[in-house]
Amino acid sequence: MAPLLEAKGVTKVFGGLTAVDQVDLVIERRSIASLIGPNGAGKTTFFNCMTGLYQPEEGSILFDGRPLVGQRSDQIIGLGIARTYQNIRLFKGMTVLENVLVGQHVRMKATPLGAILRTASQRAEERQTREFALELLEFVGLAGEEDILSTNLAYGDQRLLEIARALGSRPQLLLLDEPAAGMNPRETEKMMGLVHRLRDEKGITVFLIEHDMKVVMNISEKVTVLDYGKKIAEGKPAEVRANPRVVEAYLGPGVLMDAPPKAEKKGE
Amino acid sequence: MNKGLTTGLIAFGSLTYLILTGVPIRLAQAALPVLAVLAALFFSLMLRRQGRESSSSELLASGLTAGVVAGLLTTAEVWLFSSLLGNGIKVQPIFDKIVPLNMAALLGVRAGAIIKGEVALGQYALIAIYLAAAGLAGSLLVLFTRSGAAARLRGVRIPGGRWLTIVLPFVLFAYIYYLGLSGVTAFGNNRNIVRLLIVLVATGTGLFALRAAQEGLVQLVTGALLAAALLSLPFILNQFQNSVMSIVFIFVMMGLGLNIVVGYAGLLDLGYVAFFAIGAYVYAFVSAPFSSPYISSLLAGMGISPDAPLLGYWSAIPLAIITAAIGGILLGIPVLRLRGDYLAIVTLGFGEIIRLFLLNLDELTNGPRGLLRIAQPTIFGAAPPDLTSHLDAQGWIFLLAIFGSAVVAFVAIRLNDSRLGRAWVAMREDEDVAQATGVHLVQTKLLAFAIGAICAGLAGQLYAARQINIFPENFTLFVSIDALSLIIVGGMGSIPGVVLGALALKGLPEVLRGVDEYRIIVFAALLIVMMIVRPEGILPSARRRRELHSQLGAIPVPAPDEGPLDEEIEGGRS
Repeated sequence: MAPLLEAKGVTKVFGGLTAVDQVDLVIERRSIASLIGPNGAGKTTFFNCMTGLYQPEEGSILFDGRPLVGQRSDQIIGLGIARTYQNIRLFKGMTVLENVLVGQHVRMKATPLGAILRTASQRAEERQTREFALELLEFVGLAGEEDILSTNLAYGDQRLLEIARALGSRPQLLLLDEPAAGMNPRETEKMMGLVHRLRDEKGITVFLIEHDMKVVMNISEKVTVLDYGKKIAEGKPAEVRANPRVVEAYLGPGVLMDAPPKAEKKGE
Repeated sequence: MNKGLTTGLIAFGSLTYLILTGVPIRLAQAALPVLAVLAALFFSLMLRRQGRESSSSELLASGLTAGVVAGLLTTAEVWLFSSLLGNGIKVQPIFDKIVPLNMAALLGVRAGAIIKGEVALGQYALIAIYLAAAGLAGSLLVLFTRSGAAARLRGVRIPGGRWLTIVLPFVLFAYIYYLGLSGVTAFGNNRNIVRLLIVLVATGTGLFALRAAQEGLVQLVTGALLAAALLSLPFILNQFQNSVMSIVFIFVMMGLGLNIVVGYAGLLDLGYVAFFAIGAYVYAFVSAPFSSPYISSLLAGMGISPDAPLLGYWSAIPLAIITAAIGGILLGIPVLRLRGDYLAIVTLGFGEIIRLFLLNLDELTNGPRGLLRIAQPTIFGAAPPDLTSHLDAQGWIFLLAIFGSAVVAFVAIRLNDSRLGRAWVAMREDEDVAQATGVHLVQTKLLAFAIGAICAGLAGQLYAARQINIFPENFTLFVSIDALSLIIVGGMGSIPGVVLGALALKGLPEVLRGVDEYRIIVFAALLIVMMIVRPEGILPSARRRRELHSQLGAIPVPAPDEGPLDEEIEGGRS
């Protein structure tokens, strides 16, 4: 079976800076893959190219056989790619439930006229949407918090809500941008469990950016390393960890990889 | 102390402005007390922020300083003007409102005393004393609110308060009926105005009653009774009261539409009057074709007599809706990529362009001479004044405006709680993320503009029928500003708020006819005070209330420890 996502030679330039430089990447179906690299390596830019927020200057991205380059972000989510954001971007003035309802926007069909007349099909759809939203909140562990304003959630819970919102669009591929950033060890543990359940129970392919090496090494089946926009390594977690180029990129030339993985966090 | 000095100087500047514009002449003997009360409120507003960190004595000192500074300077100013006038020096060519009457009102003497220069020193001192007292009163007011006494007062639950709130509007409606009885002579010449004021207050308290009734049967019954009371008003009010109420409800229709664009979708539209004008002119073209040279010659060429209306009020509604919607989309397309300030400026221009078109397309619109003798809405082939003696022409328009507002409110409520409504709010909160969540921005924005425009177009059509003759100067920027202000005062995004805003901003000025020429000053002051004291509006939407509530009991969110460099380069759009 063909891979779920196939990127070839993706390049994104900002002025004189090549943020992503000729990156090739393959994501297998029902896998958990990670994208790592030092700050400014181009990880989020690559995410933005995949989700239509940026249009790459060169290269192609095929998702399930369909090209993504040239599509708008609202079309891409329709194809089945949803994402979360590094610096949480919830709809702050909306409740937890409303955030997840908006997340399902792309899967809904109601027209404005249907809403004004409150037709049978519109009411049925609203009910299903609500039920599915509650189900998703339950899944990520936010049951009972529906009516709280999203900005009032604890930080870790806001990250969970972003995932629930993304799941609303029933994605095949979920992109998580630093899902464990700023979390305490217990929350990180929970997040890792959630990522596994996403794949095992919902069959969703997960591609994530993460700085916490413990998370990366634990859950990924494949790790891709970017540095200065270029792909410098790829493979199983253990292989990548032993790769001298990766060590150099993270810790500077001439340092050996005997430091514990946690040291990476300090480098931020 | 420093704060007191600045506050005093600003107060002096404001007082000077009021004196130069001749406000004391209007207020007559009440001039000094009224200005002192205004000054006291101003002082308390200004000192409020200082109140949090300084001690009571410091606060009192600041208040007194502010009062004394403003008092002495104002006294000196009044003395200067009075002595100029007393010595026969004319200042009128420069300050046209500096006349003996103005100074006399402030000093509490007769105008003759100013001209003769016979004002006792004590009279001048009175101004300083009043303003110094105002300074003290202002700081005391801050102390009072700070002491928690005010909070305790607000927390007091009056037993049966909820029922009182529900019953109050009905008592007021009963009183309106009573004032209309033929034998009643209460308030003498002012009865018309007083009755109008009570109509406005009764309708306003009705909104609070609806909220107090909460949900279920009580709300249903209260709502039905209130609707019946409101619908009976056109039949019992006189022509003047009906004409005021009809314009109030025409603005409710407009406000509800603008509320969709600004309150829900967050698109700041300052050219909203354009759609109001489109609705009015489209109806005028079809119902008074003879007054447009171009249309009448066109019709004559086709062998149709332009003397009779082409379409009646009801058959013109679809045309008004379609034209306004097209107008909304045409405005929407070029501004799709604009946000915030830029959007406001472009829409502002659009509103003016439409007005200038109306003014200069002489052949089509008859230019400044306007379109005349627009047909009245009919029912069973006749306008109601001919059908029943209980309903005059203005009452009929008022009735239609109530129906129109109800329809628009219904649509707004239904849309707000739907896929589209949520998309609007999401777009207002974060456009990029909304799009990445699947919201089609072009479609969603254009729908907001078009639906808002339709509401304004329908309001415009009714307005044309109300005015009978319409002119381009009916459709200036001020209509847009009025519509926007009433949303802000009432509570952005809230339907009862829009009604309340329209009652306050379009109804009250009619009651306060006396200060009508100072309406803009009152308006501005009201808006500024609102923004400081209650930025969410008088009757905010549930969502805004929640947001405000959340600021009080928010759970602190720790800052994420993410790389700042990563943010700058990669999250550039974040």
